[in-house]
Amino acid sequence: MSEKRFHKVGRRPYELRLTPDGSAERARGRLPGTKRHWLQWRDVHNPKTLRRERVLVDKKPLWWVIGLSFLVIITPFLPNSLISVVSIFCVYASINVLWTLIIGTAGIFSLATLAVVGASGYIAAAANVYLGVPWPFMLLIGPLAGLVFGAVLAAPSTRLDGLYYALLTMGVAEICRVFVMQLRPLTASGGAITNVDSFIPEDWFLQRPGLLLGFAGAFLLLLGALLVWRLVNSERLGMLLRVAKTSREDEAFAEAIGIDFRRARLLVFVISSAALGVVGAFYAMYFRSISPQIFSLDQLLLLFAMMVIGGLGRAEGAVIGAAVVTIIDKGLITLGPPRIILVALIMIGVTIFAREGLTGARDQFRDFRKRKAGERRAGRTDKGGEAMPEEATDVHDKQELYYRRFNKRLRDRLKELITPELIEEHKRDPLGHHSDALSRVLNYFRRGEMADKYVIHRMIPAEEKFRIMAVSGQRGMPPRVVDDREYTDIKDAYHAVFLLRVNDLLES
Amino acid sequence: MDLGLIIYALNLSAIYALMAIGISILWSSVGIINMAHGATFAVSGYAAWLVTGVMKPVIADILGNGGLATFAMAGTLVGSALVAGALCGVVIYLLAFLPIHDKPNFQVRALIVTLGLNIAAVQGLLWTFGPRNQGLPKIFGFGRWEVWGTKIRYDQAGTIIGAAIIMTLTLAWLRYSRRGLEVRAMMQNAEGAAYSGISRQVTALPVLMLTGALAGMAAALLSQTIFVSPTAGVIPLVKGLTIALLGGLGSVPGAMIGALLVGFLEAIVGAIPFLGQRYVMFATFLFIIAVLIIRPRGIGGLLDDTRE
Amino acid sequence: MPELLEIEKLSAGYGPLRVLHEIDMTVRAGERLGLVGLNGHGKTTLIRALTHMSGWQQGSIKLDGKEIGGARSLGAGRRTPGLVRMGIGVAPQGDAIFPGLSVRKHLECGAFSKLAWRERKGRIDRIFDIFPPLRPLEHALVGKLSGGERRMVSIGRMLMTEARLYLIDEPSLGLAPKISHRVMEALWDLPVEGAMIIAEQNVALLTGRADRMIGMHAGRLRGDVGHVALN
Repeated sequence: MSEKRFHKVGRRPYELRLTPDGSAERARGRLPGTKRHWLQWRDVHNPKTLRRERVLVDKKPLWWVIGLSFLVIITPFLPNSLISVVSIFCVYASINVLWTLIIGTAGIFSLATLAVVGASGYIAAAANVYLGVPWPFMLLIGPLAGLVFGAVLAAPSTRLDGLYYALLTMGVAEICRVFVMQLRPLTASGGAITNVDSFIPEDWFLQRPGLLLGFAGAFLLLLGALLVWRLVNSERLGMLLRVAKTSREDEAFAEAIGIDFRRARLLVFVISSAALGVVGAFYAMYFRSISPQIFSLDQLLLLFAMMVIGGLGRAEGAVIGAAVVTIIDKGLITLGPPRIILVALIMIGVTIFAREGLTGARDQFRDFRKRKAGERRAGRTDKGGEAMPEEATDVHDKQELYYRRFNKRLRDRLKELITPELIEEHKRDPLGHHSDALSRVLNYFRRGEMADKYVIHRMIPAEEKFRIMAVSGQRGMPPRVVDDREYTDIKDAYHAVFLLRVNDLLES
Repeated sequence: MDLGLIIYALNLSAIYALMAIGISILWSSVGIINMAHGATFAVSGYAAWLVTGVMKPVIADILGNGGLATFAMAGTLVGSALVAGALCGVVIYLLAFLPIHDKPNFQVRALIVTLGLNIAAVQGLLWTFGPRNQGLPKIFGFGRWEVWGTKIRYDQAGTIIGAAIIMTLTLAWLRYSRRGLEVRAMMQNAEGAAYSGISRQVTALPVLMLTGALAGMAAALLSQTIFVSPTAGVIPLVKGLTIALLGGLGSVPGAMIGALLVGFLEAIVGAIPFLGQRYVMFATFLFIIAVLIIRPRGIGGLLDDTRE
Repeated sequence: MPELLEIEKLSAGYGPLRVLHEIDMTVRAGERLGLVGLNGHGKTTLIRALTHMSGWQQGSIKLDGKEIGGARSLGAGRRTPGLVRMGIGVAPQGDAIFPGLSVRKHLECGAFSKLAWRERKGRIDRIFDIFPPLRPLEHALVGKLSGGERRMVSIGRMLMTEARLYLIDEPSLGLAPKISHRVMEALWDLPVEGAMIIAEQNVALLTGRADRMIGMHAGRLRGDVGHVALN
């Protein structure tokens, strides 16, 4: 005899599900030094196979690992020009991730991100070129400059509303640009600082090894930015801010339960500004120069377009948007000006159709499907239906729903069968041969639930006296008396029970 | 301060006010921060350039070279700019308002769509016409008036008067017509407006066309002073936006006062020898930032003493 | 008497929350209906659902036999202006006033039909006759008025154009008892051709005056409370 084969059942048969040994104790690895687990597994019970299964609840870490390792593996095989495109993508992506932290997590609509990058890049580069500080220290000077600049910028954000603050930060970028252009030592080079020392040796600059080294640095930068994002957004600070995220009422609520969301916002702003300072120093080193171009509105808009296309407020959105726009902007450079139009059109299209960019499309589709399903369900169940549409989502066992629906249909059919003749027939002969209709009705009554089922009580002492009681349906609870009528003939009692049940049926 | 400086300041203020009022009305009634206002400005400038280029020989044929011809020319220029601006408003209505106006995050999304439109339009103009500046015919002619010993150029005077007329018309329309009343009602309480039978979809179209036409008018007037180029809209957009914010978004009188303040500030900063034109933008931003930090709701916040 | 409003199986709510549970109700022309019930039992949502202002809704609403209901899960307020123009006058909860307009301008807003706009002067005079305290405030900004005056302005705006069905939500909310009595008196004195539904928590303000009272409990109608025979 061959072994019994189980086919996979459920809504997603393709989904990876581990089937651990039910008796074994569960061992989970933890991130060293913390209490966190590597991956979010959840044990579930499969009601069909009656087995324990383990599901990966959050699959994002897997996608991150796949995407980032693809980048690392593929880059060494690319031609020189594309390697620099990938490196620039990494730099843009890390700026975007940190910007997402400011806009998404802290909820401060700042447009001074590139100004922070530029300012700290300039200070680090100036320290290197004019003061002779060696390059590794630039990676310290950058974040310090970013920290100070961020703290100055963050101060008015508690006082000004979103749009006003956005304007202010836009003004700051403009002021930085004008300031740098006016600096006398830099007028010869049009405001740029050149010949910055770098982690790439000078004779490797723009050569293949240098490009690969540059990519390695940019990739590490991106990893660092993602780490900062993870630490800020998903740890205490981010959790605090999630309370006060969406509206004024939420802010008031957060305040009422003792969350100082303003301080948390400022902290996030300052932390990401410091991280942006690192990016600034890296930027100056990577290009071996820094120019006022970084403060320009066009550059800012390009970065903003990346975030919008990917999805504002999500790290994966920032990275995917950066990929899309960098490919169009730097990869299709032969196309000329129309490529910017293409970016703009993608931006418009994504904004009109997607609620939260490309990465939010999946959630949006799910919401849409859920809404449509809800509408259909609401249309199906009519008044007195056995499950209200909003209950239907709560009932875990969907068979229950179908059972209730079947019962309702059955009752509707039986109600049609009940006629005065039928009742007369039962009165004539409660026990004996019944017509088809009466047998159907009685069969339904027999199957009824134990609770509130009627019983006939033969009264003590053993006389021919009966009364009708209803079973409580609970163990230990005695039946209750339905009414005080007493019957001397058992047949009358049978018929009284029948009438009661018919009555119940017609009322349901 | 001499009269020339005042005239120059008024000239700047007039253009800024045209832009800022458009942005302000649009934000408060429809809820769009119109980043495509600059593109509207540039597109109307180019439309006026194209139309006057085509019409010039025609008008010269029919009317000769007299005063009537200049008048017809002026009419064509301003008319074409207004129509082009209004058409841009229709495009914005179709793309940035109609598909998303009752979806979540409408305001941010409308801002992004208009930003995209702005980028696309500016790049499209660059692509089609190249980065070269184009001069428009001078409808006010060349020359100066002598007033109390100061020379006032015709184009400056024309700009100030033209802008004043258009703004008066707009304000009168807002104040006295039923449609204007609807716009004002919608600015203040969208729900109340809905209960008064005022439909957002129906009212948004004329508002967008009006603000587009205001930008077109600004383009027509500014083209008398400077050339038209694809990126010509950026500075008016940034100025209009900042002034609308300075005025407290949504307050028309606030925007006008803001435009006057900024116009005079720029004229004065430009005239101070050791600062000069290079620091104009710098000074404006510093001024606006200072005002906003002291009064977070701008000038409109000072004027408005009602409660919700 | 003909049936002006017929509601069948009307459910409505906000997001996952279902506030109304399949309401059936009819209102005859000329009736003044009191809708009573505690806070949070669906009075306001019923009034909002009638003008498509609730988050979502489904079920049939017939105004003079014309279907204005239907299923909808998005787009709150999209059809409201059209419904108002079809003849539903609303004085919403919280008044929804325009703080920066003067009382006169505010009342003019309500005159959305061509006829009403042409006759607006006379109509505003009529409103001032109904609510005498408003007459001296004609040019004051509504944002500076007191709560009672705002309520009068809000009801006045509703009355600027004739409607077949007037919906008045909590006319006494947030008002001092004396003022709320005055507002209610003015409401009862209104010459109304169409029907009127007044949602009110305070039953005492309605008893004896409303033609019919309907209780609301947990999103369902609870029969007629204190029926007064129509003549």
